[in-house]
Amino acid sequence: MTRARGPAVRAQGLVKHYDGSDGAVEAVRGVDLEIQTGEIFGFLGPNGAGKSTTVRMLTTLLSITAGKAEVAGIDVVEDPDAVRRRIGVALQEAGLDPRQTGRELLTLHGRLFGLNQAEAEARTRELLDLVELEEAADRVTKGYSGGMQRRLDLAAALVHEPEVLFLDEPTTGLDPASRLTVWEEVRRINGHGTTVFLTTQYLEEADQLCDRLAIIDDGVIVREGTPADLKAELSARRDGTEVSLDDVFLDATGRSRDRAAGEVQEVSA
Amino acid sequence: MSSTIALGLRSLREAARQPDALFMTMFIPIFFLVVNTGQAAEIFPSASTEFLEGQGYGAFQLPITLLLAASFGMAALFLVEEIEGGYFDKLRAMPIPRYSMVLGRLVAEGAKGIVLSSVIVLIALPFGITIASGVPGFFLIVALSALWGVVYAGFMQLIALKTRSAAATNSGGLIFFPLLFLTPNFVPREMLTRPMEIAATLNPVTYLMEALRSLILTDLDWGAILPGFAVIGGLGVIMLLLNIRMIQTYD
Repeated sequence: MTRARGPAVRAQGLVKHYDGSDGAVEAVRGVDLEIQTGEIFGFLGPNGAGKSTTVRMLTTLLSITAGKAEVAGIDVVEDPDAVRRRIGVALQEAGLDPRQTGRELLTLHGRLFGLNQAEAEARTRELLDLVELEEAADRVTKGYSGGMQRRLDLAAALVHEPEVLFLDEPTTGLDPASRLTVWEEVRRINGHGTTVFLTTQYLEEADQLCDRLAIIDDGVIVREGTPADLKAELSARRDGTEVSLDDVFLDATGRSRDRAAGEVQEVSA
Repeated sequence: MSSTIALGLRSLREAARQPDALFMTMFIPIFFLVVNTGQAAEIFPSASTEFLEGQGYGAFQLPITLLLAASFGMAALFLVEEIEGGYFDKLRAMPIPRYSMVLGRLVAEGAKGIVLSSVIVLIALPFGITIASGVPGFFLIVALSALWGVVYAGFMQLIALKTRSAAATNSGGLIFFPLLFLTPNFVPREMLTRPMEIAATLNPVTYLMEALRSLILTDLDWGAILPGFAVIGGLGVIMLLLNIRMIQTYD
């Protein structure tokens, strides 16, 4: 497959309305994004800010109310199947089939992405090795720990060597060791040229992993830039005081530390 | 088509790994066969009951057992579990035809239906129930039962896709019971009271039951068999169209 030139992800005026019992809910209200090929891009925001809704629109899982989105140079509305061939998706919950073994699941995904049986089995072996799940490969996934499920989910998203990998809160609920493993995997995947779009609740994760990031609040992007630039900009506004990414987050979302507690967390791996 | 088959095989593995569910699918219908036959066999002795065509009352009840077993498929519950767990979205993010996500499960349901209905008929044979229409009739019975299982599972999938709730999908399964009881399930249609006869005549399941019954009690009677297949064909087309529409617009 020929890799797309230009931005890996481009969104212009992306809007999503839901019809609720109390009238329309505006989950995303005009998001503009441009993510360059090869970047690790972080997407931060409090709970309910519109992170997952944006990811679901970009990954063709949710219809777009207004605006335009391109992934790998392809319009997600006009040719969703072509987009699906180029993206890998690991959503907020490690969505695995609980009654299949890890090996069966990866081989099935390979087949569904058009590999023949021998290719799918070979790719499965590579991925099981990559995420260090060879020993558990023939157990049903229902018995996997949270960390193992995340790693298998990540492997499943990589079966077809996607151009753009969407990771929606890939480390939520993981212990520090599993979180570090996922970070290493994300760096390694990105090292092979895959663009990574990562939503996270963990500010340190964004600081450690992301080349650039955007903060979304109440459906609109309120900050965008490299972690260093965002911190420098806030520091300059505060007369050179040293600031962290959570200060940037709190400033951008207008939240106090008390209010942000439980919404976005700073953690150490 | 290859993705439909791959997903169908996955669903079969899934069913094989839940043997307790398969056991209940067999056990409850056979339990009803035994109980219903035990309760009514004395009322309808084979020697003096014309509509039994010389067989015992168990032969008259066997179609209900087959239809019940076919209606206890787990496809919709597995589907809703997949929706709730997030794997359904994983599949939706793949470049596969949307219809394969619903057809795969239905193909597997058909295969399971063939096995289940064959086993039930084979279990019934040593208890004096014979298939008057012979080997061709046996295959037609299995085909009718398995296809009904597919159609019913398809309607249950619609509930699963619409509600995305295990509780609602489970409750939806109860729809079958009124349908089953508004049929000539204990006596032929002409022996029902007038209101029940009208209700049974309007109920499509009646024609399926009468087709199965004719295959068990009489030789190949196409006048009774074809309406059964027509019901399955008609409901099957509606079910497929609704499923495809639902999955194409799933958001």
